[in-house]
Amino acid sequence: MSPETLQKKFLKGLTEQFPDILGKLREYVPGQLIAVLSRDELPKVTKYAVNQLGARFVITVATDQRDKTGDFGISYILAFDEEKQFLVLHSNLPADDPRIESVTPDVPAANWAEREAYDMVGIVPEGHPDPRRLVLPDDFPAGIHPLRKEYEYNTRFPSEPQNAPPRMPPPEGSTVVPLGPFYPTLEEPAYFRLFLDGERVVGSDYRGFYNHRAVEKLGDSELNYNQVPFVAQQICGICGQVHSCAYVEAVERACEIETPMRAKYIRTILLELERIHSHLLWVGLAGHIIAFDTVLMQLWRIREPVMWLMERVTGNRKHYSSNLVGGVRFDITLEAAEDIRRVLDKVEEEFKAVVDAVLIDTSLMARLKDVGILTEENARALGAVGPTARGSNVAIDCRVDHPYAAYDQLDVQKQVQDGCDCWARTLVRLYEVFESIRLVRKALDQMPGGPIMAKIDGSLPADRIGLCSVEAARGESHHYVRTGDNNRPYRWRLRAPTYPNLQAVGCMIQGVNLADVPICIGSYDPCFSCTERVETLDVNTNEIRVYTREELQELSRRKTLG
Amino acid sequence: MISDLCKKMLSKSLWLFHTNCGACNGCDIEVIDVLTPYYDVERFGMKLVGSPRHADALVITGSVSRQVAPALKRLYEATPDPKVVIAVGTCAVGGNIWFDTYNILGGADKVVPVTVYIPGCPPRPEAIIYGAALALGMVPKKVKPQREQHVPRGFDLDAYIARWQDTPVVTR
Repeated sequence: MSPETLQKKFLKGLTEQFPDILGKLREYVPGQLIAVLSRDELPKVTKYAVNQLGARFVITVATDQRDKTGDFGISYILAFDEEKQFLVLHSNLPADDPRIESVTPDVPAANWAEREAYDMVGIVPEGHPDPRRLVLPDDFPAGIHPLRKEYEYNTRFPSEPQNAPPRMPPPEGSTVVPLGPFYPTLEEPAYFRLFLDGERVVGSDYRGFYNHRAVEKLGDSELNYNQVPFVAQQICGICGQVHSCAYVEAVERACEIETPMRAKYIRTILLELERIHSHLLWVGLAGHIIAFDTVLMQLWRIREPVMWLMERVTGNRKHYSSNLVGGVRFDITLEAAEDIRRVLDKVEEEFKAVVDAVLIDTSLMARLKDVGILTEENARALGAVGPTARGSNVAIDCRVDHPYAAYDQLDVQKQVQDGCDCWARTLVRLYEVFESIRLVRKALDQMPGGPIMAKIDGSLPADRIGLCSVEAARGESHHYVRTGDNNRPYRWRLRAPTYPNLQAVGCMIQGVNLADVPICIGSYDPCFSCTERVETLDVNTNEIRVYTREELQELSRRKTLG
Repeated sequence: MISDLCKKMLSKSLWLFHTNCGACNGCDIEVIDVLTPYYDVERFGMKLVGSPRHADALVITGSVSRQVAPALKRLYEATPDPKVVIAVGTCAVGGNIWFDTYNILGGADKVVPVTVYIPGCPPRPEAIIYGAALALGMVPKKVKPQREQHVPRGFDLDAYIARWQDTPVVTR
């Protein structure tokens, strides 16, 4: 362990409470501590680190390592953002009894992660308050955990519809409004059941993962290191570059590959251009949700030249296919750099005009201010990330906290607002566009020459662990890679930013009007492109009323018009 | 047959119902993109509607996952005849790289009959407009009709659709 790490505050706090943990900590990669603990210690340390030391819960990684050590592994990944540190708490569980005490009652952010660990690998979180099925489809056979090594990625499992997870019972006297399932967030189509008292939301239930495509299983079983980035970029059509970049950086960190500086700058430029078009897209959609279609049309008009630019620079409008382990596949030429500058000048000028109009628009403010409150306390407890967190005065931004690519040389300014409402989240995104434009220009100026691909001889070493967080437009995207034999990852775990943010939605829509629900859900950056069908069930008469998305939007729009 | 009927009845105003069956959102964004000023598909009378019951065409993006399949079937049945089904993007056309994983059934045609396939990852907005116009017979086909090539010899499409429509819908 390096002397700087030993000085860190969180480590002192941790060793005061658990004196023998110091001997178990290993630092393979700077900024990443790994501790192998016993099954009883792990939950205690996690709870203490999160609740007393202010760690942010990132994700759990459950691994089937029976072919190597004969047991299951579970890792809880925590982040100390101010101290730029990741802490991986790992525990090995016997193959015949994979149980672990659930930390969810004390660490609410771990809710989904622990449920997913059970679904995918079969690690039982004991004492979990809501141990329903999360990831697997309703008709999936019970007792089958597809990430275990005995199942092939293309096994066809029989249909057993009786396994559908039970729904949460609504509070007494409330009305149930299902919202979905063709409900497009950016990662997962989702199905919300809202419990209403009159017009106010008093609770909600969520069923998602309609979009589960077995990406991790493919990465664990079929693909080699350089094939994974091309699958990773297809996880999301908007932050594809984020996912492939996070994956390759995780492998590079684990295997200590020196990536050329120019490659890092190219990654950075593509990431920032992606953020620009994503934020422009979001602001337009937010306007559409609250019946301000001019915003949609204007913003998407401004955005389109960015898409054309990406096609000229990378060859595709989305899915740039630029990253490989050790570098990037194509260079940004002088002509392309000129092109980027020209487009950015135009975007900045036009976007500034729109922002000036948006910032003084009273009807937008009336719909967005004090709507969808997510307090700073709740945002921290539920592990919200990205503009959702920064709108609630939680100053986390991986570009600063856990620098990757070339961000440590670019001096990124965090955009933080303390309004805690939809308006604050909008402001964060508006200002981030200008910040991104500045960063691209600065990166183009500073970009050094040289090679764009590192030389890698032979196969990469096995059994190393690498972590990388990349700040996507909608928050932190975290990738965990454990390297394996034959040039293939042994375990690849990813967590998209919507994962924690969706868990915060239940809290955000508590107490709002039904007509405000679309903008609340919209405010953490989903995509309202597709359809959702809304159905209300009046508990008193059992009469079913079907709202279409249009009608719900109409309700939302009517509120603007007064 | 479907194409002739659609040509007659829908060519002046095609209302689209857009559904994401497990896509990465790349195609979804491109579908919205054709509505915005640069492409402005509304000049052809096409627009997105909020309910399948108002729609003439289903636009399907994404490979179909197990969880989505029953809902997609219901959606197809809720759309009134005559209807066109447009599969947008490589995932909806053939399932992309996940076509045979444990949770994916494959392309959209594994669950509903598809009229027009628009490949691409994601397809360009121009390709989407061209595909929609092709479905309506507004532009001449540049290749021979593709369906016969995909359908095995001796395959009776009408019987396939009839049999598929008899399958009980899973309601939850």
